[in-house]
Amino acid sequence: MSIKVRLHPILQNLAGGQELVEVIGHTTGECLEDLEIRFPVIKQLIRDKRGQLRRYCEILVNSKSTYPKELTTPVKDGDQIDIMIFVAGG
Amino acid sequence: MLTKNDLARYERQILYPDLGEKGQKRLKQSQVVVAGLGGLGCSASLYLTCAGVGHVTLIDCDRVELSNLNRQVLHYEEDIGEKKPFSAAQKLAKLNSSIEVIPVFKKITAQNASKIIKGANLVIDGMDNFKTRFIVNKACVAEGIPFIHGGVHGLFGEVTTILPGRTPCLACIFPEVPQRKVSLPVFGVTPALIAILQVTEAIKLLAGFGSLLTEKMLYFNGDTMDFTFRNLVKNQNCRVCGTKKV
Ligand SMILES: [Zn+2]
Repeated sequence: MSIKVRLHPILQNLAGGQELVEVIGHTTGECLEDLEIRFPVIKQLIRDKRGQLRRYCEILVNSKSTYPKELTTPVKDGDQIDIMIFVAGG
Repeated sequence: MLTKNDLARYERQILYPDLGEKGQKRLKQSQVVVAGLGGLGCSASLYLTCAGVGHVTLIDCDRVELSNLNRQVLHYEEDIGEKKPFSAAQKLAKLNSSIEVIPVFKKITAQNASKIIKGANLVIDGMDNFKTRFIVNKACVAEGIPFIHGGVHGLFGEVTTILPGRTPCLACIFPEVPQRKVSLPVFGVTPALIAILQVTEAIKLLAGFGSLLTEKMLYFNGDTMDFTFRNLVKNQNCRVCGTKKV
């Protein structure tokens, strides 16, 4: 079983420069939790206090939108999850 | 028609075979709206003006503050308190008096966005918040006007070009508008770099050559000096541009 999370460049600095992190889980939510256990600082950035995904984050599976099931989309061996972050400064 | 002065002023870019006099003429006939005159918008409008884009509309609702001057290169110390579009237009008129620069001191809203961008050949994203970006994204899709998105955070930046109806829009990727409006960290160099990439896209789009940053996001990480891409896929259910809107 190999599912990879591709981190947005802003998050890569928080994961020791890694772009791809191998994770375990049956859904996008489980995979993100696995990632967050290893990199708690990423959790702070992508979740609000209630554990909801922040609105400036979106989760893609194999480049496709998972909205509105960002945390409950099933994933299988070989899938790639992207964490997208909307960058708002100008 | 290009004048003798135009031919002299733009000589070095006219030498570029894909642009030539024909492309230069197209730039001269074009109208570009720069939405926001912060770090992105200042650098973008500077290079649109240099390049000879004939009509440049500058829109912003803020006044110049001291804390803007680390990145907003068209505003000087003497402009503190001045309306940003007028401060910027003054400098641009001195740089290139042969083009038309139209300053508009106005807040972009869902009600006026379409009217503001109507007739433009493209819109450059120089905004500093989520909400206005989504308003302009929607108006561009509705009016069928290309939108060149740029965003920055610290030493990090992103760019993509949206061709309405054909390529993914901002709402395809981010269906809900984030609410947060806070002061984000930003250097001067990051918006300058991103704005110049936006203008590179604008020149190609207006003159009709080269390939565009559509269906992908270009990311710049100034901390590591990496340029990377993410493919963007059009969301058929997108509430803004989808064919099966939900
Ligand atoms: Zn869309």
